[in-house]
Amino acid sequence: MLTPYGLDIIESCLACKMRAEHIFCDLPPAALQTFESVKYATAYPKGAVLFVEGQTPRGIFVLCKGRVKLSICSTDGKTLILKIAEPGEVLGLSATVSGKPYELTAETVDPCQVNFVKREDFLRFLKEHADACLRVAEQLSEKYNTACREIRSLGLSHSAAEKLAKLLLEWSAKNGEAAKAEPRVKLALTHEEIAQMIGTSRETVTRLFADLKRRQIVQAKGSTLLIRNKAALKALAITQ
Amino acid sequence: MESMIQSSCLTCDFRPDRLFCDMPAESLKSFDEIKSLTAYPRSTVLFAEGRPVRGIYILCDGRAKLSICSDTGKRLTLRIAGPGEVLGLGAALSNTPYEITAELLDNSQVVFVRRKDLLKFLREHREVCLQIVHMLSQDLHGAYERVRTIGMIRTRRPRIMFRPRALLV
Repeated sequence: MLTPYGLDIIESCLACKMRAEHIFCDLPPAALQTFESVKYATAYPKGAVLFVEGQTPRGIFVLCKGRVKLSICSTDGKTLILKIAEPGEVLGLSATVSGKPYELTAETVDPCQVNFVKREDFLRFLKEHADACLRVAEQLSEKYNTACREIRSLGLSHSAAEKLAKLLLEWSAKNGEAAKAEPRVKLALTHEEIAQMIGTSRETVTRLFADLKRRQIVQAKGSTLLIRNKAALKALAITQ
Repeated sequence: MESMIQSSCLTCDFRPDRLFCDMPAESLKSFDEIKSLTAYPRSTVLFAEGRPVRGIYILCDGRAKLSICSDTGKRLTLRIAGPGEVLGLGAALSNTPYEITAELLDNSQVVFVRRKDLLKFLREHREVCLQIVHMLSQDLHGAYERVRTIGMIRTRRPRIMFRPRALLV
């Protein structure tokens, strides 16, 4: 069967196998039924923009498959990537709830399946299902946590080297690599995008990576990075 | 202490003006049962970043400074919270350590609710749940605004400094 962008679209949330793992999606049956009736399952290609910072909120986007880049833009056009959202995350949540313009821009990194819910429908859904409301609160708390971490890293770190080391350590703690002495990190982003994540230039990121490789702290194998000297990386991550 | 102690939420005059406090009568009654009110002197630290979460704090009067700290103790003030604000909400709901430090700037009356009691209360009172979601959205909005200002300042300065050297190469 032909599918849009090679995605295997999950039409119904009721039949979704991943549901139990996602905080928001793991709703009680009654709430899930209602949600099912208000959502629209859509597929987007890579590089599609779901919403732009400053737009009036239309509704929420629940990410089912693929990854989405969340960024903030300054008036002079500089981009800062806040995070890469993974499946299960709800995008545009706080703007939809408060009615204020979207505070971020969301752009797909891979072909994505996204379930869209219109603002009015979503607000009504929240009023009727208190349990879903708590899930939303949990999601918002998590986002708040991420935002605080970002503020800490941007506002209190001294050098780009320190921020890059922190980012690599954060990535290496994912996917069960944390306990390993030499964790592997899959670099899914370009140097340009990494620069936008830590608020520096592409050139600086390239230079820092070259430096880390020269000092044998990391080793590149294709798009995978092997952290050979975790202790040295940790030392770099401490604010001087 | 300048102001009178307001021991019951039911008779509080400020209630209608405050987003969280303005809840239906029935919810308010059960909230009054689970809360505890304390008067603290200024510069009391209500909770510190990284500490395990105990519950939420509601400022009845006075102000609190919300800040973030680096590993070496450098501090960045996020904002000043005013009367009626709920502090520590995000951490309490997600059961993660407090992400910020809250320090009182004035002698204040503060209501404390334990995390366990709060969650039970929220499950029983749906309307309040929506209010919580609204408040969290606002917190998040403020945080993103802060990211925007901080992130942009830090990217701009070094580039201007390094440009002359880049031209020499």
